[in-house]
Amino acid sequence: MTDMAVESAHMAQADIPLDRAKALSAFKLGDVSFYWLTRISAICVLLILGGIIVSLIIGAWPAIREFGFSFLFTQRWAPSAQPTPVLGALGPIYGTLITSFIAMLIAVPVGLGIAIFLTELCPMSLRRPIAMAIELLAGIPSIIYGMWGFFVLGPFLANSVEPAIIAFFAPIPILNTIFAGPASNLSLFNASLILAIMILPFITAISRDVFATVPPVLKESAYGMGCTTWEVARNVMIPYTRVGLIGGVMLALGRALGETMAVTFIIGNSFRIEPSIFAPGTTISAAIASEFAEADGVHQSGLILLGLLLFVLTFFVLTCARLLLMRIERKAGA
Amino acid sequence: MNPIYASRRRKDIIIRGLCVAAAAFGIGWLTLILGSLLWNGLSSLGLNVFTQMTPPPGVKDGGLLNAIVGSLIMTVIGVAIGAPLGMFAGTYLAEYGRHDKLSSVIRFINDILLSAPSIIIGLFIYGAVVVPMGGFSAFAGSLALAVIVIPVVVRTTEDMLALVPTALREAASALGLPRAYVITRIAYKAARAGLITGILLATARVAGETAPLLFTALSNQFWSVDLTKTMANLPVTINNFVNNPDPNWKSLAWAGALLITLSVLTLNIVARYVGAERTPK
Amino acid sequence: MSGTDSVTLSEGAGSMVNHPVKLAVKNLDFFYGQTRALKGINLSLYKNIVTAFIGPSGCGKSTLLRVLNRMYDLYPAQRATGEVLLDGQNVLDPKLDLNLLRARVGMVFQKPTPFPMTIYDNIAFGIKLYEKLPKSEMDGRVEQALKGAALWNEVKDKLNASGLSLSGGQQQRLCIARTVAIKPEVILFDEPCSALDPISTAKVEELIDELKSQYTIAIVTHNMQQAARVSQFTAFMYLGDLVEFDETNKIFTKPSKKQTQEYITGRFG
Repeated sequence: MTDMAVESAHMAQADIPLDRAKALSAFKLGDVSFYWLTRISAICVLLILGGIIVSLIIGAWPAIREFGFSFLFTQRWAPSAQPTPVLGALGPIYGTLITSFIAMLIAVPVGLGIAIFLTELCPMSLRRPIAMAIELLAGIPSIIYGMWGFFVLGPFLANSVEPAIIAFFAPIPILNTIFAGPASNLSLFNASLILAIMILPFITAISRDVFATVPPVLKESAYGMGCTTWEVARNVMIPYTRVGLIGGVMLALGRALGETMAVTFIIGNSFRIEPSIFAPGTTISAAIASEFAEADGVHQSGLILLGLLLFVLTFFVLTCARLLLMRIERKAGA
Repeated sequence: MNPIYASRRRKDIIIRGLCVAAAAFGIGWLTLILGSLLWNGLSSLGLNVFTQMTPPPGVKDGGLLNAIVGSLIMTVIGVAIGAPLGMFAGTYLAEYGRHDKLSSVIRFINDILLSAPSIIIGLFIYGAVVVPMGGFSAFAGSLALAVIVIPVVVRTTEDMLALVPTALREAASALGLPRAYVITRIAYKAARAGLITGILLATARVAGETAPLLFTALSNQFWSVDLTKTMANLPVTINNFVNNPDPNWKSLAWAGALLITLSVLTLNIVARYVGAERTPK
Repeated sequence: MSGTDSVTLSEGAGSMVNHPVKLAVKNLDFFYGQTRALKGINLSLYKNIVTAFIGPSGCGKSTLLRVLNRMYDLYPAQRATGEVLLDGQNVLDPKLDLNLLRARVGMVFQKPTPFPMTIYDNIAFGIKLYEKLPKSEMDGRVEQALKGAALWNEVKDKLNASGLSLSGGQQQRLCIARTVAIKPEVILFDEPCSALDPISTAKVEELIDELKSQYTIAIVTHNMQQAARVSQFTAFMYLGDLVEFDETNKIFTKPSKKQTQEYITGRFG
């Protein structure tokens, strides 16, 4: 009896699974091809990075051979000099660093302030609309900021703000060279301010996200001890999210360093390094944007070399940013 | 009042004031920008903008028709190339390779590409496409945009698929469904709203990109829909018009800027709206 | 117990029914990375019988269930050694077609998992994987499956509504219908009622009792009354060991191990 039961069970199942095996085999090809489709697509991401590096190095090679390390320390930028062009990256590098530095100096405290305002002070009913407005503004293309800076902000600063600053610092040594006149529509300072306005929504949005990882219990226990809003922000929120905040700030820095269209119109495109922040200057990306289309030969190669430098610089900054942000993600996940 | 408490309170009030001031400062600038954009843009926005070609300097009439069409074409092609590729790559990261080494490297590189300066992408495509093809072309411009679309879509796809409950995947597997079909028929369906949001956001991101087009698609003063030639597009046209003292060009630049901003904002708002009815639960 | 290849139980009215072994687990070990989660398990699931798995959280009962249809294969660093024989065929064989196995060994999960599609499609989806049916026949199959899960009367007027619009209990029965629709031989229930209210729980239990006439059933549960109500065999597990495996009556009235006794009387767990 036992044997019969086992056997009949076998027979009953034998035909059904076979039929199904046939049905399933129809999926085999699709299953395998989809796997490879996704895997190859994922590897494409690596290939893009590789392609960027290789194509920049190939493009920059003539300039590297021509100028070598002196490229980094030369201020003169004379693509049509005779007998051979002289190209040096010092001016754009200086401009890139100084505009990003000033922009961060303005945008970081203001952005943090807005984020604290949004998470702790703002009436509930306004939080979502303001946060949404700021996130939407982070999506506005940078050329809009650049254009506005050129048509509106530049003239305003040159006519109404800068003369006052120049006059104020004139009697103070050292500062009077940093803030030396004449006021101009096109200057490092104007470009920095536009950059600051542009990365402001970005810093605000990211700090707000990072602040959201603070467990409410922590904040509540601090408030429970009678802490003021500022004390909670200073002693709980900022220390708890320190790593993430630094990561976010570095991410914003990466953006500021590489930003092109917001600064190109308004920076003046001068390769000379002047001590005054009201003087015109240039950045790496502005130099590429304004000269590349008309450049050829070593001049063009020099611009690609500038691009390579910018890429290395931002790659380094972004890598640090991501590593820091990954640390806070892990903390939030745990 | 306790003197220590009083000083603490004073400090708090000052800082609170500063935070409010910061918010007012930030929002003030942004309203100023939008305000002047609306003011100047609306006053230059007429029917001619949509019906006439970009004018040569010194001519009174003219519009942005060729630039608008060119931007649409290149954005659509860029997204059409970049979105599927990004979606598949994101699928690999979320589904097949969630834990493997290769994925963590790709994830990291993708995050770097996500914030890489867009002008570098322009240089890359110049070297990889424009030089070998022997000239600037709309196709090269589209590819540059695709390279920007990819990391955005990879990221959102991975994030959205990660929100799909594991139980749902297991339930589909438990029916005997092969992995690829679990993903395409169940996981994609469950994450649909999020996936669309990602593509919309990527579209918004490239719609106003200027730097990567400057020396890939260049621009074109005339009507052209030939992908192998230079093609007019809004951002580069604005760039060229801003750099010129011609008042007609200046007003067209404002009109173009307003159009770009409105379309980018619309895309962002639609993306949010779609994303809000997110299906994964 | 695992040595035998069938059991004979008395089922009402003094009639004795013979139940052959459907699925035999032999010397099964399971590892999450380095952690050994199952230790030398030996037991059998008998045809047309409900076997319950009880034990405190983390005892390995859900793990065991997920070995039976190799659900663990979806994740890296999890592996099983030993044998799991489904009608004599080793389920752990790496060359085995997993999808086919899962078609034969269905599973219902802790939380209801309706697919993001209509009620009708939730059922038809699985059937379409294996059979190409004309619309009218498909309608019949869907109806049959929903009736089999005692859900037909509640949803027959809204087959095109989303599966997610149903209540939790209905969703769970939809998942059972979906599993039954593809005609599996074994159905695994992983705490199917833990997310449901008492009334829905009663309906699902009733359903499981009816299903056993056609299927071999395993159910993991936290609820000992449930195990006593629905099962004929019960396995008590503790820290990855199978402590005791016997007829449910025996386990709940005179268990042979002290640990089992302590657990079912609520002294630990």
